[in-house]
Amino acid sequence: MTQFHKSDIAVDGVRVEVFEAGAGEPLVYFHGAGATRGFDELLPLAEKHRLIVPIHPGFGGSDDDLSINTVLDYVVHYAALFDQLGLRDPVDLVGHSLGGWIASLFAIFNGHRVRRLALACPAGLRVPEHPSADLFMIAPDKLASYLVAAPGVLAKMISGEVTVDMKVARYREMTSLARVIWERNYDPKLDRWLKRITAPTLILWGEQDRVLPAQQAPQWAERIGSKAQIATFDGVGHLVFVETPGAVERVESFLNGGG
Amino acid sequence: MSVLDRLQFYLMHFMPYPDVVPDRPQGQWVDIPNTHFDPERGHKLYKDYLDELVLGDALGYDALVVNEHHSTFYSLMPSCSIIAGALIARTRRARICVFGTPITLTYPHRLAEEYAMLDVMSGGRLECAFPLGTGMEYWVNPLNPAHARERFRESMDVLMQAWTQPGPTRFDGEFYHYKYLNPFPLPYQKPHPKIYIVGSGTEDTVHYAAEKGFGYSQVFTPVAAQLKSFENYRATAARHGHTPDSESIIISAIPYVAETEAKAIEEARDHILFYFRSLLRTSDQMNSPPGYLPVDRLRKRLEAGVFQSSEITWEALTSVYRTVLGTPDQVAERIAFWCEQAQSSRIIVHLHAGDMPHWKAVKNITLFAEEVIPRLRRKLSLKAAE
Repeated sequence: MTQFHKSDIAVDGVRVEVFEAGAGEPLVYFHGAGATRGFDELLPLAEKHRLIVPIHPGFGGSDDDLSINTVLDYVVHYAALFDQLGLRDPVDLVGHSLGGWIASLFAIFNGHRVRRLALACPAGLRVPEHPSADLFMIAPDKLASYLVAAPGVLAKMISGEVTVDMKVARYREMTSLARVIWERNYDPKLDRWLKRITAPTLILWGEQDRVLPAQQAPQWAERIGSKAQIATFDGVGHLVFVETPGAVERVESFLNGGG
Repeated sequence: MSVLDRLQFYLMHFMPYPDVVPDRPQGQWVDIPNTHFDPERGHKLYKDYLDELVLGDALGYDALVVNEHHSTFYSLMPSCSIIAGALIARTRRARICVFGTPITLTYPHRLAEEYAMLDVMSGGRLECAFPLGTGMEYWVNPLNPAHARERFRESMDVLMQAWTQPGPTRFDGEFYHYKYLNPFPLPYQKPHPKIYIVGSGTEDTVHYAAEKGFGYSQVFTPVAAQLKSFENYRATAARHGHTPDSESIIISAIPYVAETEAKAIEEARDHILFYFRSLLRTSDQMNSPPGYLPVDRLRKRLEAGVFQSSEITWEALTSVYRTVLGTPDQVAERIAFWCEQAQSSRIIVHLHAGDMPHWKAVKNITLFAEEVIPRLRRKLSLKAAE
């Protein structure tokens, strides 16, 4: 199987890590609010694509950019990163959770750069009847039960003792997240902006997602309009790509023009 | 000249609500059910607590200190300005210290107005200290902890501009934009009341206070760590052209005075332990919301094991913090030692602690004023005579 190789690039003076695997038409993946682990579950996508996973400033091995304090700042960052990577033609774009929010805004403001869009349990929409969990309020010992439907999935990824380094890395990522969404974990504007998405859009959701309830999926589809379709996964929580290979397969068939 | 020649005693009150909710390992903050509040009990507590501070004025304390916390049984003062207003009307001599409203929790021009009112109303008796607010405040106020330090500095810039530049002026910041920054009234004291910054030892805050020429005061942290901060403060202040003196730093202590040491321990020990174990207790999560601590500071704390929420012991309280229970001689000796050690002539004394009943607070405030303070002053005259 293909493996990721990592490179460092500077975007507007901030060093970020970019993981790449495979060759072909580019597929960019925007990760969610935790990036301290690998992204091996996405590797099947690299069989037919040049899979590009940039790490957001303030997360994982990327440096901090203290001038970023809105989700839109990430969109501006990614417009610059696309330039830097020479991504002139429309690309396939996949975003998970916070990354889904960034991807949707990216598609709204840079529609000409997005061929197909897949949003996996995206954050950012205000749905009063089915509100998103406030990640900051979840006690550390309860977090796993929010992230995955079957706790065993995480146990595989995180084994052994929680070290000081891990706690510090987590605090730093939560700080980066707080800088953009502490006040509210949605953007009231998204409601009226989503119809500006022109690319065919796949909305994926784990039915047991406790962070962002799956009932939000039809709300996204309704606002994006007829170019949106929904795929849900039973027995799956918030880490949808980690929890079921079916989600990656579904993205693959969508990007290849399948339904 | 020794710091003891200029000693000033700051009587401070936390005004706790002592009927805590049991079995809460996360403490009495943030998500404590407020249905446990009994307004009649609250009314009685306000009366007793204000009486204790007013007594301090009558007994000659140099200053009365109040502060502010939110959504917690730790404090009945979600607005310290209101308590200060009540104190001004009932006191004549003591300085009134708001130590204070976290400026980020309100509009900075509004705090400039309120504090100016207090200074004018009291005829120039106001002193202010500016804390960042505990981490807990950020869960119950619509305020981002990850921007806390930036917002704090900008807010202080607004306040200082409001107090020192003839208004109206204009302010264009990251967080605030003022078309007409023009507070009315202005402070009684010129250019403004004495200002301290309250920190917990984060280097960043120590440097900020020192660079700006503000005073510095550190909350409950081990004495050794405080002394290190003070040294850092003085060196940084000097580098920035300021000349810190013994009034630039305020230290704090928890003394209890009685006829014998045994009696002092018997009367006060459990109330002080209650303060640390029940009222001050919180969870790591509530105490350090994301971004509230600089990441390197969190690492230092984790490595030092500060976050292991083990029960604080009496031995630690009396060796690591400034706690002294004993006869007037014993208490005076420790106070003199601590002030000289920190080279500080200003000391905050917490003479009501935790769930201490009114009579013990009155006894402690009275004995400290009548037996300890004169001993410290006499010590000076004896020294002078030598």
